[in-house]
Amino acid sequence: MKILVPVKQVMDVELNVRVAAGKVVEDGMTLVLSKWDENALEAAVQLKEAGTASEVVVVTVGPESAGETLRKAMAMGADRAVHVLDPAADGSDSLGVARVLAALGAKEKPDLILAGLQAQDTDMGGVGPMTAELMGIPCLSNVTKIEGTGPTLTIHRRGDQGREVIAVTLPALITANDSLNQPRLASLKGIMMAKKKPMDTLTLENLGAAGVAGAAHALTQIAEFQPPAARAAGRKFTGEPEVIAKEVFDLLVKEAKLVG
Amino acid sequence: MAVVLIVAEIKNGEVRKPTLELLAQAGRLGLEAHALLAGAGVSTLADTLAGHGAAKVYVSDDPSLKTPFPGQITQLADTAAGKSSATMVWFSPSEVSRAAAPALAARKGGSYASGLNSLQADGAGWTGTRQAMATKVVQKIKLSGPFQVMVFSSGAFEAGGAPKAAQTETLPPPPVNPQLSLKEVAVEEQKGEVDLGEARVIVTVGRGAKDPDGVAFVKKLADALGAGYGSTRAVVDSGWRPHSSQVGQTGRSVAPEIYLAVGVSGAIQHLAGMSGSKKIVAVNKDPEAPIFSVADYGVVGDLFKVLPVWLEELGRLKK
Ligand SMILES: Cc1cc2nc3c(=O)[nH]c(=O)nc-3n(C[C@H](O)[C@H](O)[C@H](O)COP(=O)(O)OP(=O)(O)OC[C@H]3O[C@@H](n4cnc5c(N)ncnc54)[C@H](O)[C@@H]3O)c2cc1C
Ligand SMILES: Nc1ncnc2c1ncn2[C@@H]1O[C@H](COP(=O)(O)O)[C@@H](O)[C@H]1O
Repeated sequence: MKILVPVKQVMDVELNVRVAAGKVVEDGMTLVLSKWDENALEAAVQLKEAGTASEVVVVTVGPESAGETLRKAMAMGADRAVHVLDPAADGSDSLGVARVLAALGAKEKPDLILAGLQAQDTDMGGVGPMTAELMGIPCLSNVTKIEGTGPTLTIHRRGDQGREVIAVTLPALITANDSLNQPRLASLKGIMMAKKKPMDTLTLENLGAAGVAGAAHALTQIAEFQPPAARAAGRKFTGEPEVIAKEVFDLLVKEAKLVG
Repeated sequence: MAVVLIVAEIKNGEVRKPTLELLAQAGRLGLEAHALLAGAGVSTLADTLAGHGAAKVYVSDDPSLKTPFPGQITQLADTAAGKSSATMVWFSPSEVSRAAAPALAARKGGSYASGLNSLQADGAGWTGTRQAMATKVVQKIKLSGPFQVMVFSSGAFEAGGAPKAAQTETLPPPPVNPQLSLKEVAVEEQKGEVDLGEARVIVTVGRGAKDPDGVAFVKKLADALGAGYGSTRAVVDSGWRPHSSQVGQTGRSVAPEIYLAVGVSGAIQHLAGMSGSKKIVAVNKDPEAPIFSVADYGVVGDLFKVLPVWLEELGRLKK
């Protein structure tokens, strides 16, 4: 079984995010591998370690700096990487990225694609299901457990009525919930080995995907970023628990209509 | 008049409120609303949709749609959008729409956005706002082109209306992808609990409750208030509460009048799911806990000492 893991390099949202002149201030932000992509990758590497998968390929559509993310993914256990590096892809919307990934999918023919539930910078959750649709394979989102050795896998996913257990015959695309696993930290040995693992750099033209992605083809565009609405400063109560509990309770009843 | 197709979300035999909000909003924007009603045993809900503004309801009522695969909903929405000449399809934030909505956009070559909490016409397209980066930024996002697919956050708009006779058209159920088969649905929802999406007050329990007994203890507060009972991922991962109760980025996004976080640290992924609450109350024994940065009322103290006082006071008020 061959697994393709699309990963994205994002600004670390754990840091203090600032907005100025309609843009996110990049100064002082570090770039990291998006968290849910770590879960997807960890799942892929575990399938490889279990002998279920024969190869794990990571791919990103992104600028020069995104190469670091691919190295990190290989340090965590991916076998090789594909970097779609092309200024023509800049400003792609979710569908643009999905078209590029689907073009790569047609070339790589993975049995399983493991994507993140959503990217940490966009929180959009569009690229995975779109890629599956374009490739004509089923998509199972928000997956919390993967069992079996293929060609049919049993997956658990969060559904609207509860946990759904679904048998899926590959090829298919899965998006990872963060409860799927605890992503490993890259070991020193992994980091050394990653330096020697192959990384292909491709353009849209190489993929036969020229003219399907990039700002010029994006029907969805971020016009501007704004800071979130500020919350009024709150009050903090310290002291004897029983005393402050009573004090806050009375305030909640009076000011917030706690008992409706 | 431009037509928007709204994919209705049904739960426990009722139309969920986010769907009603979208129907009402379509009217406010001067759009003709059509609705897709898909599920098992749902036909009778067409009148509810009509009463809230659906000029036409496409009904696909079939046992195979009891727990639909997203692909079935994509297919039905595509068919219904075609029949109604809709240029937009709107979804509420459900697990099915997570996959069905982007797939529809891909199929139609349309524009797409999730998590929208406002929308206005903008030339030939639409501009909306949505939160991103774990709610640390707001994006103003423009959707253009001939077809748009949008997923809104719950509570984005006001709902309003009353049932009336619907004009309906029946759609045959779409086939299930032969690659997929549903083995089991483990319904985890606790009976009798208030729906988090509709609760006026939510009490959320975090790992600070320590163990299942602590979680049951905090539930007493939710019960006494008639509140929804949410939890953090730490609590869900420990197996103390069902997945469906998780509030946060990968769980439910909620915006009640009052949100009481009890023994919750306030990690950004949790805050991202509840920071839209009108009033936030936190009980945490660590004065440095990040939850205090968003709390209107922050109680620094042991929950096992604070909650008994609240329960006693509530008992007194009820008498
Ligand atoms: C990609 C990703 C997505 C995630 N999505 C979500 C999500 O959707 N929802 C979510 O909740 N989390 C999510 N998380 C996890 C999140 O980062 C936190 O780990 C989690 O929210 C912590 O849960 P907690 O506050 O219950 O536990 P902890 O962080 O362990 O906090 C427990 C708190 O209880 C306090 N406490 C302890 N004892 C007492 C006492 N006796 N009285 C009062 N206070 C006490 C402590 O001071 C502490 O602040 C996600 C993480 C990742 C990486
Ligand atoms: N530029 C990209 N390159 C590769 N994969 C991506 C890219 N953008 C998004 N993805 C994948 O799609 C998922 C969802 O992204 P999004 O739709 O932006 O929330 C991510 O978790 C990645 O797995």
